[in-house]
Amino acid sequence: MITMIGVVAFTLTALISWFQPGMRPTLVKRISIASAAISIPIAILGGFFVFANGPLQSSTFGFAGLGFSLRLDSVSMIILTMIALLGFIVVKFSLNYLDGDARQGAFLGRIAAAIASVQLLVLAGNLGLILAAWVLTSISLHRLLLFYPDRPGAIIVARKKFIVARLSDACLALAVVMLYQQFGTGDLTIIFEAIKQNTVAGSPFMGIETAAIFIALAAVFKSALFPTHGWLVEVMETPTPVSALLHAGLLNAGPFLIMRLAFIMEVSSYATYILVILGAFTALFASVVYLTQTSIKTALSYSSIAHMGFSLMMCGLGLYPAAILHLVAHSFYKAHSFLSSGSVIDLIKIGRLGAPERIGSPLRILVAIALSIGVFIGSSMIVGVDPKGEFSLLIIGTILTLGISRIFVNALDSKVNLKLIGQALLMVMGISTVFFLLETGAHYLVATAVPATMPSSLVEIVLISIVFFAFLVTVIVQMLAPFITKKPAHIALAIHLKNGLYANAIFDRIIGSWSNEVSPAPLTENQTVELETYPQTAQA
Amino acid sequence: MKLTLKKDHPLPLNQKKMKSQLDQVKSPNQLSETIQKVCSKIAPVWPLQSFVAVNPYLGMMDKGFNEVAHDLDLLGDMSMTLPVSYYLDKLEEGSLKLEDLEEILTEKQMAEKDGNTFIANIKQNQDAEDRTSNVLTVGDTVSLLSPTDWNRFMMSRVSSWSAAYFDIGQATWKATFEKESIFLAWKYEASIDKTTELTGLKGFRKLVADLPENATEAIAQSLAVLDVSEKLTSWYLHGLLRRIGGWSAYAAQLDWDLKLAGKEGGKLEEFLAILISWESCLYQSLESEALQQKWKETKFQQLKLEGQRDVNQYLVQKLILQEAFDRSAQKALIQKFKNKQPEIVKTKPKAQAVFCIDVRSEVYRRNLEAADSQIETIGFAGFFGFPIQHTPLAHNHGDAQCPVLLSPGATIQEHLPNANDQKEATEKRLLTHQVKYLWKAFKSGAVTCFSFVSATGLSYLPKLFTDSFGITRPVPNPKTYGLTKEENKNKAVSLEVTEHAEGVSGLSMEQRVLMGKNALKAMSLTDNFADMVLIVGHGSTSVNNPHASGLDCGACGGQSGEPNAKVAAAVLNDTNVRVELATAGINIPQRVRFLACLHDTTSDDITVYNESQIPADRLAELEDIKKSLALASASSRIERALRMPKASANQLHEAMRGRANDWSQIRPEWGLAGCSAFVVAPREHSKQVDLGGKSFLHNYDWKKDTEFGILEVIMTAPMVVTSWINLQYYASTVDNKNFGSGNKTLHNVTAGIGVIEGYSGDLRVGLPMQSVHDGERFQHDPLRLNVVIEAPTEAINQVIAKHPMVRNLFDNQWIYLMAMNDEGQIAQRYTGNQTWETV
Repeated sequence: MITMIGVVAFTLTALISWFQPGMRPTLVKRISIASAAISIPIAILGGFFVFANGPLQSSTFGFAGLGFSLRLDSVSMIILTMIALLGFIVVKFSLNYLDGDARQGAFLGRIAAAIASVQLLVLAGNLGLILAAWVLTSISLHRLLLFYPDRPGAIIVARKKFIVARLSDACLALAVVMLYQQFGTGDLTIIFEAIKQNTVAGSPFMGIETAAIFIALAAVFKSALFPTHGWLVEVMETPTPVSALLHAGLLNAGPFLIMRLAFIMEVSSYATYILVILGAFTALFASVVYLTQTSIKTALSYSSIAHMGFSLMMCGLGLYPAAILHLVAHSFYKAHSFLSSGSVIDLIKIGRLGAPERIGSPLRILVAIALSIGVFIGSSMIVGVDPKGEFSLLIIGTILTLGISRIFVNALDSKVNLKLIGQALLMVMGISTVFFLLETGAHYLVATAVPATMPSSLVEIVLISIVFFAFLVTVIVQMLAPFITKKPAHIALAIHLKNGLYANAIFDRIIGSWSNEVSPAPLTENQTVELETYPQTAQA
Repeated sequence: MKLTLKKDHPLPLNQKKMKSQLDQVKSPNQLSETIQKVCSKIAPVWPLQSFVAVNPYLGMMDKGFNEVAHDLDLLGDMSMTLPVSYYLDKLEEGSLKLEDLEEILTEKQMAEKDGNTFIANIKQNQDAEDRTSNVLTVGDTVSLLSPTDWNRFMMSRVSSWSAAYFDIGQATWKATFEKESIFLAWKYEASIDKTTELTGLKGFRKLVADLPENATEAIAQSLAVLDVSEKLTSWYLHGLLRRIGGWSAYAAQLDWDLKLAGKEGGKLEEFLAILISWESCLYQSLESEALQQKWKETKFQQLKLEGQRDVNQYLVQKLILQEAFDRSAQKALIQKFKNKQPEIVKTKPKAQAVFCIDVRSEVYRRNLEAADSQIETIGFAGFFGFPIQHTPLAHNHGDAQCPVLLSPGATIQEHLPNANDQKEATEKRLLTHQVKYLWKAFKSGAVTCFSFVSATGLSYLPKLFTDSFGITRPVPNPKTYGLTKEENKNKAVSLEVTEHAEGVSGLSMEQRVLMGKNALKAMSLTDNFADMVLIVGHGSTSVNNPHASGLDCGACGGQSGEPNAKVAAAVLNDTNVRVELATAGINIPQRVRFLACLHDTTSDDITVYNESQIPADRLAELEDIKKSLALASASSRIERALRMPKASANQLHEAMRGRANDWSQIRPEWGLAGCSAFVVAPREHSKQVDLGGKSFLHNYDWKKDTEFGILEVIMTAPMVVTSWINLQYYASTVDNKNFGSGNKTLHNVTAGIGVIEGYSGDLRVGLPMQSVHDGERFQHDPLRLNVVIEAPTEAINQVIAKHPMVRNLFDNQWIYLMAMNDEGQIAQRYTGNQTWETV
């Protein structure tokens, strides 16, 4: 129950901001940073408690397992701690960043409301509360997106987000109804136990598949997977801290939902295929589009879309520990990227020192790739894990290998001295070791809260192979990029990609983004002078 | 009124007819000339890496201030005054005086000469005060008819294309025809990009593909398609450029650089070709008879409107209020000099400190003189007469460190005095960067970014906290990056002439002597040297601030003045140079040491760089000066803190310094906000006046300037720079939408060049709202610069007569000019046409 203090404190902040919505709101500033500060020790305390005593489920105020109840397990505690830490950073940032804004009080209040709703979602212990918090997060986000309500861009993005969010709500609501019908309760612990026992008994529930599909779709809509990603690339119509909170916090709701309901997802098959296919495609698509974007915040948004795709793909593959590690790591990384997005000019200045010149020797590239695989196997031995034995480590390990081979290729196949190659070697060994330690750690932490990784079905193996092939090709193309001559066809492809394959243009058309109604001050007939009526025959 | 487009009527245009129209319209030469003229009206904007203050009205200076105000109002709802309510507040507050308003009403021969009645009239109409809505382009016209705002769509597409094409550092994969010229690149891309057609513009790509490849021809063809008459062409094209003023300004900057290098420009013309092609393709693609009819009406009305001066009566009134506000400020300035305390008797100074003319130096100089009356301060353009290109350690190229009006005269390399250290540091810095490069490729590559995040994402958690508390910087400081603290401290400039792959660097003895002589003469510092002469450049410190370089030294091209101070001190400390200077009549005694210093305008701390060259027996002298500097720094901070919204007395110094490393700080300092005067006179005559950090100060003693050559330099160089800065602040204040960069919390750095506000839209020029406004009130009041020169009016007249650029500034009332007499009183006001009146 103590973990609710954070939620209550932030809710209180939001309420108080109603009375002090304006410029330089001393009280709201104090109370919001205090709420943010107190949330951190509470989340950590809760974490220790769960670590010591195992998962906890509070009793429910309400009926039939719907109403108010909390579920504390390693998944919720990790995410809760993450939200607490991010919440503090974002609130602290907003104190000075919004200084002098006419509605700083309201801003802080809305930020607080958003944090409170995410905390509630994370802690929710039954389906009813999850659904309520799910809707609350998007409502609080909506209010943040429209912080400057007159901006046409803000109106459009809020409109897009509204549609996608309602679709997501509807999917989740349907899923909740179906699950409730199936199990007669909304209580997560009871549902999970029922599933576990039935799986053991070998008589899976009928109809759970459909619910799982709707859960997957709810996550897809929530986390801006292709082709519903359009709204996310436009959310910088509102101050930077909102982007940080959204990309690092609220967006995670999709993967979190899957993790939360992992036991349900695990007994379905089509739902997970949806996640793998859409997730993998989005990951690939958005991480390539990222390269073509010309403004920092838009590029970062595509990066977030890619990472959400990647996380959901991992979820679909049942690699929950890896997914949660990725999710948390991404959140901190992305919050920092957004908050420091004003520093790009410094980075460009630094970039003037010049990049090493590439050679383009196939032999060197091959050696580099071989070395990467060597490092991968070597460091897994150092840490003492056997990737071959653990399917999840094999998959993500291969992706890691792709990453480090990029470093090696750049180092080995360039006109640089031995020192740099040495540094690169150290770098990749460090990365690999840390990687294995983290993966093992994540596995250890969340093992009790999510289902164990199942052996893959044939369909899954085929899917995984296709995904890896696509990933591999993408990485190799990037390695060779400096030597690929730019044919018009390549540029044309790049242009289509830069436009996000037009998914957003179509979305714009559907919702009427370019309508006159959205424009700030639509033009009217010239009024300033009384002009004689235009003669129909005159030559202008 | 909204009409839907009728689409069933095909456009009555065929190639043949178009061709014949094309021949009719005008000869190519004539058109080229018109285009050139239109393009010259657009002021350039520099990329954020060296964000120089630019007068956004540059290019229209040949017209009067008020005339341009009317033009801009008609062309695109651009404002050159604040709303009436602002002036009424000032009237209430007393900084705009009723008597001054009446003075202006009389001068302007207005029908209404009574101030109170004038105000009462305005108040009555205040609610009616509205923007001028002017329909000028096809995009505007179509917006009247169609429920779709094609104007907004077109601007969004052109802006996003521009960001991709001009990109200098954001996109890893440049998805654009970067090798082609501007117009051709757009033409190719627009015939591929499906967005236009998916949004409802039928056959748009085909229309684009059929355009001529040459920009001028494309403009001619589009003018023919749109049937724009010769009379309207210039007005219409100018309006088009103003619609996307940001990217137009960037294209104008490319032209500026090309012209400075003596090459052909033409970039903006190509950009203009894109805009008009968009218009004609839009026009043809919509195929609407209603549009064709409406477009005829638009052109007809525009012909009537062009160049009208009295169309907007509200604007006439606002311009009068603005002028009255200027007049009141001018009188207050005159009064300040009248009230000044008598000068304290002058003794030989123990030190002289040369500061930049920047308004922030005024605060510091006053406090330094108060801290130690034996320190004399001098004001001079902050590049100290050394226009150099500065190549940082381990770099191949560097930035120009001089006003953008000049081309750098020499390249200076940064180095470490010890050759071994130099070699080691260079290698290390390069290696650091190469490692960083590997890291970046890993971090931002497609697919590889996933392994990056999984493995290293958590490391951003501690960084989030250390950055939040100002312990670390979000990204490394480009100036100190890859070097140790010790190395950074020892960095110096190398004057030795050396040859590299990239050219020659260093200064020959002749160059050193020439630059040194000119600099000292221009500073009016040719005798009575103190034992220590501080050359104090300035720069600001802020993190996570895209506009950081706008707070640096404008005279150094939006860079820190550190390298220039170092070069100046090194040259003037050179014994051989001094020997040569002596033959030219400038005797610098052996004892005199020049110290290279930097004034950090955010913290008001001063760093001395070449301390190590001071002989041991003179360290006490240095210590004494440094004590005074510390005192002056502290009192300057206290003075500046008054303008900060959150300055608690007990932690004031920490709070002021803290702004420099706070990544969430949107107002690290006020920069030049408030600048409204430029005093060119001996320091004795301004010393006893508190100019409140709002005045540029240039030392000038006309009695030493026998041929008035220095006066000419001051009026054509530093004075022009101050006018640029003043008008930049002015424009960003009165029309932040068009000439400012909007809300800083929404800034999205684009193409490595500038910012956009939010997701899309034009490149923003000028200053953010937060740089001129603190949320409650403007920190920069829109006042036109008052230039005060102590020199005979005949001499000033001569410069005005000789330089049209200077004449335009004053005669067209972009800034004001006054003359100071020998007693240090402002005695005369310039009234245009080289005439003066006594004040």
